[in-house]
Amino acid sequence: MSQSLRPYLKCVRSSLTAAMSLSDFASQTAERHNVPEIEAGKSPEVLLNPLTISRNEQERVLIEPSVNSIRVSIKIKQADEIEVILVHKFTRFLTQRAENFFILRRKPVKGYDISFLITNFHTEAMLKHKLVDFIIHFMEEVDKEISEMKLFLNARARFVAEAFLTPFD
Amino acid sequence: MAQVNWRLIDVDALDPDNAFPADLLTPQSPPVSLSEIQGIAQHCRQALQRGDQEGALKDALSYPPYGGDEQVKELHLQTVLEILSSIKQAEMSPILQRLHSGPEGSETVDVLMKYLYKGMARHNAGSTPGVSTHATGVSTVSGQGGREYGVAPSRGDGGGMSVLLSWHEKVVDLAGTGAIVRVMTDRRTV
Repeated sequence: MSQSLRPYLKCVRSSLTAAMSLSDFASQTAERHNVPEIEAGKSPEVLLNPLTISRNEQERVLIEPSVNSIRVSIKIKQADEIEVILVHKFTRFLTQRAENFFILRRKPVKGYDISFLITNFHTEAMLKHKLVDFIIHFMEEVDKEISEMKLFLNARARFVAEAFLTPFD
Repeated sequence: MAQVNWRLIDVDALDPDNAFPADLLTPQSPPVSLSEIQGIAQHCRQALQRGDQEGALKDALSYPPYGGDEQVKELHLQTVLEILSSIKQAEMSPILQRLHSGPEGSETVDVLMKYLYKGMARHNAGSTPGVSTHATGVSTVSGQGGREYGVAPSRGDGGGMSVLLSWHEKVVDLAGTGAIVRVMTDRRTV
């Protein structure tokens, strides 16, 4: 792990641990509803101050806590246009399968690449530290994945170009 | 009338009983004027020049401008960031330890935590004035009010984020996740 990645992930981990103190909370505006307050945004008194953690200009995490849900948005590093495309395809692939991911939000928050929505029902059904671990693991892996995909793409492009140009040699 | 999609009108928002009074949400703080905070900034910079980083940090964190407007808060944030980046990695822990054990120590550390998060959030707004002046390498006192002086964490990696991240790590080691929880729940923002 690189030198600047470790404090970044450590900071995200402690912030997530602190933010993920959720309890059941029925909606105050609609009777017999129980909605994630961070998404509804109807009662400002149950929303907490959002936290931003950034490693540099391109990589950051936004944690928006509320009484019964938190929204974690991740901006993945995109150094060039190929990475922009790859990140877009990759996050699209995941969000289209959000049903199977439970905590994945179907649409990222504006300005970020991928968002998770964790409610009190998730923290009741799953272990809190494992949820934190999962997000940290995701952040570690996604960078690796993207750079691997980029290398693979370049290698393939080179091979195709070679194969295409051999008849003209 | 036909133009208005009345099914989408949020009738609850129009009900005065449902409106949560804003003054209940944010506690009242005494207003802080720009000149006041400039005085503190000046004071801290003098302490920095004397090499008294700890005193500067303590002074800056003792007067968080809760009641000030955006400009005041931005100025004070720059002061705090300047002090934080002037402290060496090895000195962080002992200074924090002393701050924390002092009178109202945990309060001070919470304020520091607020500034760490705010410092990290600030750079995301694109090129803030501080960033752009830094790109040109200008870090002297320029303009009145000292609004542009060194924001100055090293621009090497990630625009000084690593400084804030290592401070964050030290604060969490000392004060635990409670400090983060208090940043989230405290309506008095810096």
